[in-house]
Amino acid sequence: MSESRRTVDARGQACPQPVILTRKALAEGGFDLLEVLVDDASSRENVVRFAGYASCVVEEVLEEGAVSRILLRPAPAAPTSARVFAAPAPAPVPVVPAAAGTTVLITAAGIGAGDEQLGALLMRGFLYTLTEAEEAPARIILMNGGVRLAVTGSDSLVNLLRLAERGVEILACGTCLEFYQLKEALAVGRVTNMYEIAGLLLQGRTISV
Amino acid sequence: MTDLLATFRTSHEALRAEQTLKGGGLAVELIPVPRQIRGDCGFCLLLEAAGAVPEERIARLRACGAQDVWRVTAIPFPTSSRKEKSYERIP
Repeated sequence: MSESRRTVDARGQACPQPVILTRKALAEGGFDLLEVLVDDASSRENVVRFAGYASCVVEEVLEEGAVSRILLRPAPAAPTSARVFAAPAPAPVPVVPAAAGTTVLITAAGIGAGDEQLGALLMRGFLYTLTEAEEAPARIILMNGGVRLAVTGSDSLVNLLRLAERGVEILACGTCLEFYQLKEALAVGRVTNMYEIAGLLLQGRTISV
Repeated sequence: MTDLLATFRTSHEALRAEQTLKGGGLAVELIPVPRQIRGDCGFCLLLEAAGAVPEERIARLRACGAQDVWRVTAIPFPTSSRKEKSYERIP
């Protein structure tokens, strides 16, 4: 018996719309395979990452020119007495969200309200001190003005690069980079979306700076 | 190679010195004052790999208003990749 398939065409949709459409389709169900079409590298990464959080199996990701075709198999539903599986459903690839360890949330280019120069100075000092700390945080999430720290020309870039070398994940809000037109200038870490950010902030310990 | 550290009376002075030295081609880094040197908050300038004979660099740091210049020694921890740093004030 052939497998039923549904297609979500998210081409031309800005982040986080492809993830929202994928999530909606998965919630509705009624298919064996979900095909998601995107035409942006960050959308592709975000959909694949979201699939992991949703315990889907990413069967394949095909690149067809500028378009990525992502094939997802939803996690099998728990069997009930009224439902009989003809064959054992494939086990989902276990994906554990990397939420262990401390998350540092940075929402501005400087620390605190007051003098802007002092705020920037304190931020530089804080990030340098993190590079020297015995136990580094697991990740740093940059939102709003905080994304300015991770772009080319930032005084704090050197310290974020050192932290990344130590294994600290640097995550920059895609919407924020887009808003400030800094997407191309991101020089460390990767672009993320609100789903991943909210998921990480709700798990484990978060320090907001 | 010797790492040098310059402390200043105020953070404003450290900032000004950073601009001057960077403008003169010296790759200094503005960092918080290590707690081994001073317990209160403040910023200083770190100059890594100042050369085997760093007198000229020391003179430039002093010329920019450094209150003190320190020689930095990094001592590796036996059980990790981290290094403990010690600071010796250069008279």
